[in-house]
Amino acid sequence: MGSPLVAPVLELRNVSKSFAMTAALSDMSLAVVPGEIHAVVGENGAGKSTLIKIMTGVYQPDSGEILNEGKAVTIRNTHGAQALGIAAMYQEPMVFPDLDVAENIFISHRNLGTFMNWGKLYQSSDELISRLGVSLDVRRAASGLTLAEQQTVEIARALSLNVKVLIMDEPTASLSAHEVERLLNIGKALKARGVAVLYISHRLDEIFRIADRVTVLRDGKHISTKPIAEVNHDGLVKDMVGRALDKFATKTKANEHGPLLLSVKNLSLDGVFRNVTFELHKGEVLCFGGLVGSRRTDVGLALFGISPSTGGSIALDGRQVVISTPQQAMDYGIAYVSEDRRKLGLAMTMPIYANASLASLKKFLRRFGFIDRAAENAMAEQYRERLSIRSPDVKIEVGKLSGGNQQKVMLAKWLETKPRLLIFDEPTRGVDVGAKAEVHNIIRELAKQGVAILVISSDLPEVMALADRVLVMREGQQMGIFDISDCSQERVIALATGQDQVASAA
Amino acid sequence: MIQFFRRLHPQSLRILALAIVLLLTVLFFASQIDGYFSPRMLNRIATSVAVILPIAIGQAMVVMTRNIDLSVGSVVGIAAYLIGDYLGTHPDVHPVMVVVIALALGAFCGAINGALVAYGRVPSIIVTLGTLALFRTYLVEYSGARSITTAGLPQWLVDLPQATVFSIGNFDMRLTVAMSLVAAIIFWVALSRLRVARKLYAVGSNPDAAVVAGINSSLVVFMSFVLSGMLAGLAGFMFLAKFGNITVVAGLGFELKSVAAVVVGGVNIFGGSGSILGVVLGTVLVDTIDNSLTRWAIVSEFWREALLGMLIMIAVATDTFMTRSFGRMKGKSE
Repeated sequence: MGSPLVAPVLELRNVSKSFAMTAALSDMSLAVVPGEIHAVVGENGAGKSTLIKIMTGVYQPDSGEILNEGKAVTIRNTHGAQALGIAAMYQEPMVFPDLDVAENIFISHRNLGTFMNWGKLYQSSDELISRLGVSLDVRRAASGLTLAEQQTVEIARALSLNVKVLIMDEPTASLSAHEVERLLNIGKALKARGVAVLYISHRLDEIFRIADRVTVLRDGKHISTKPIAEVNHDGLVKDMVGRALDKFATKTKANEHGPLLLSVKNLSLDGVFRNVTFELHKGEVLCFGGLVGSRRTDVGLALFGISPSTGGSIALDGRQVVISTPQQAMDYGIAYVSEDRRKLGLAMTMPIYANASLASLKKFLRRFGFIDRAAENAMAEQYRERLSIRSPDVKIEVGKLSGGNQQKVMLAKWLETKPRLLIFDEPTRGVDVGAKAEVHNIIRELAKQGVAILVISSDLPEVMALADRVLVMREGQQMGIFDISDCSQERVIALATGQDQVASAA
Repeated sequence: MIQFFRRLHPQSLRILALAIVLLLTVLFFASQIDGYFSPRMLNRIATSVAVILPIAIGQAMVVMTRNIDLSVGSVVGIAAYLIGDYLGTHPDVHPVMVVVIALALGAFCGAINGALVAYGRVPSIIVTLGTLALFRTYLVEYSGARSITTAGLPQWLVDLPQATVFSIGNFDMRLTVAMSLVAAIIFWVALSRLRVARKLYAVGSNPDAAVVAGINSSLVVFMSFVLSGMLAGLAGFMFLAKFGNITVVAGLGFELKSVAAVVVGGVNIFGGSGSILGVVLGTVLVDTIDNSLTRWAIVSEFWREALLGMLIMIAVATDTFMTRSFGRMKGKSE
C-alpha cells in the first residue's frame, strides 16, 4: 500500500465475502483518503461490484472490518452508508424522470419542512451544480436530461448530503468525448473539495489523467495499490490480467476480402439519419465511428428491421431487398448484436442454453414442435467452450452471469444463426480488457470465415484495431468513408466533431 | 443437507416447499375436522379442483407473458350457461361435439381479450376487467334471469359427474378429474418441451429481446389469451356437468381463485417463469383450503375469500423475498 499522509476516511481491512461456494472478495484491504481520486481497476468478475456493495452496505462482509475515520463501523444498508457520507453513482444514474432537477437533487432530504420553500430549493440546487463547475437549469424536468446531465444530478445529490466518499462505477462508459471531459473536471472539483473519489473504470487513459492512486483487483484479490506516477499502462494491464497482453495493433492495411454482399444507397430515416451510402464485402469489417448520439445505432436498427428506413435502398447480393421486421432481416442472414444487453439482448430469467438458441429455434425443432434438448445443450456447451463463457454449466440463468459473460451469451445467440452479415453495436462496452481482446479475436476470425461485419463503436482504438474501412457519422449525416490506410484517430475525431470541415470534403 | 438445497434449482425448491405446505395444510384440517380423510372428502376436493385446474393453467400462460386475464370467471359462466341452454334445445348433440363447442366459445372470448391486448395495446388488466363485466352483463341479458336446470339437460351430462374411470379402494377417479389431469399433463409437457412454449417464456422474460430474436410477440400474447379462454370454456363445461343448475352468477370469483392458484404455484407475476407442475400444486392447495374451510365449524364461510386474498399476498411476498435473496447471491459479480 502507498502511505497516505492524511488519515483515511474509509478503510477496509482484510474483508472477505463469498457467495455459495465462490469467493467474490478475499482478504481485501483498501483505504481512501479525503481529497484523493483513487482508481480501482480489474477485469469483469474481479470483485469490483462486490467491493462497491460492501462499501455501500448492500452486502455484509463475511469477515474483516470496515473503518470510518479510524473507527470500526457496520454498514447495515445504503441508509447507513449515506449517514457515513458514502454514496455510489452507477453507469445508469437513478433519477426520477417526472421531477425536475432540483427536486431530484433534494429527493433524499428529510428536513425540508412540511411546506416546500421552492425558492430556496432552486437556489441551493443552483449552488451545488455550480460548485461542480457546470451549468444546468435546475427547473428542467429530469426526463429530458442526457445521461451525462443525469450523472451531474446524481453527483449534486451526493454533494447535498455532504458526501465524503463518492464511488463512481464506470461513469464514462456511455459518454461522448466532450462529456467525459466534463465528468473528469467534476471529479477534480470534488477532489478539491476534499471528497474521496473511488473511480472505477475500464478506461485506463482516464485513470492516468485524473487518479492519484490506483488499486488493481484480480479474482477477488487485492493485487496492488500504487501512486499513479509509479505505474504505466502495460504494467497495469499486466496486473489486471495476470499476464502481459498484446497491444491492440492498429491495422495499417485492409484485409483481402470477398465479393460484394451489401450495398446501401442513400438510406434515410425521417428526422433521424439521411443519405447513408456504403458497400460491404464478404470478409470485410466496416466500422461506424462517431460520437454517441450521432445516429449510428439507428442505421444498424434500420438494417435489422427494428426501426425500418423510410428512404433509400438496400441490396444484398445485388438484389434489392426491403427489411421491415427483424424476422425478415434474419431470413436474409443478418444478425444484430445489440449494445443494450438488458433491453434488446437477453432474457435474464432464462438459462444460457435457451438464450443461445432463441434466435435459431427452428434448427432444434423435432416432430410435433418439440425442441431437441440434447442438440440444444450440445450447441450451448460448444459456445461455452469456444467463447470461454465462465459458468459451471449452461443451465445457469443468464441474469446470474457477469456482464462480459452475458455479452458472450448474446454473441452465441447470434453466431448460431450463422449470419452472412453481422452488425455489432458497441461490442465491448463495459467489458474488461481481457474479454475485449477475446471479442476482437472472434470478430477477426468471423471476418476470415467470410462474414461481412459492421461494427458500431465509440472506442477509437477499437475502430483502428478492427476496421478495414471506416465510416464516420455526425448528427445523422455521413461525414466520410475511407480505407484504414487513410485513417487516423485524429481524422475520425475531426469528422465526428465537425472541427475539420476540410477533411469532410474528402 | 444445506448443500443439497443449494444445488437444487430455485424452481424445484419452490415445488418442494409447496408440497410440504400442502401436506401440512391437509394434516391441519385432518386434526380439526372429523372424518377428513374420507374418500368423500377426497372426491369432493378432486372434482372441485377439476373445474379450477384448466382455468389456472390458462391463467398461468397469460401471466407468464406479463399479462393477466380477469375475465375467466365470466367466460366460465358464459360457456356453462350457453351450452346448457343449447343442449336444452339440441339434446342429441354428440358429447365430444359439446366439449368442442365449449372450447370454441371460450376461445372466441379469449380472442377478443387477446386482440385488444396484443394488437390494440391496451393493458391486459384494463381489457379483462372490462370484459369481465361485459361478458357477465351479456349473460344476464341473454338469460333473462332464467336458470339452467338438470331437467333440461341430456341424461349423459347429468350422469357425467358420477362417471368413474377407475377406483382405488373407496376413491373413484371421476371422468372430469381425469380430463382435467390429462389437460394438465398435456400443457406440462408442452410448456417444458415445445418450441412455442420457449417463445412464451421469452416474451415474458424480455419482450424487446424476443422481438429482436425474430419472435412475433403480439401473436404469442394473443395466443396465450385464446388458450386461456379455451381452457375457461372447458372449465365451463365441467362446471355445467358438476352442478347441473346454472344461474347467471356461474363462475363468479374464479378470476381471484385462478390468480391465487397461479401465484401460489410459483408463476412469476412479472412474467417469464413458472411451471405447470407448480400450478397444479398451487390449485390443489388453494382448493383444498377453500373446500376444507366450508367444513370447518370454527371459521365463517365468508372468510374464504379473505383467506384467498391473503394467500396471494403471502405467495407474492415470499417470491419477492426469495428473488431478492437469490439476487444477492448472484449480484453482478464484477
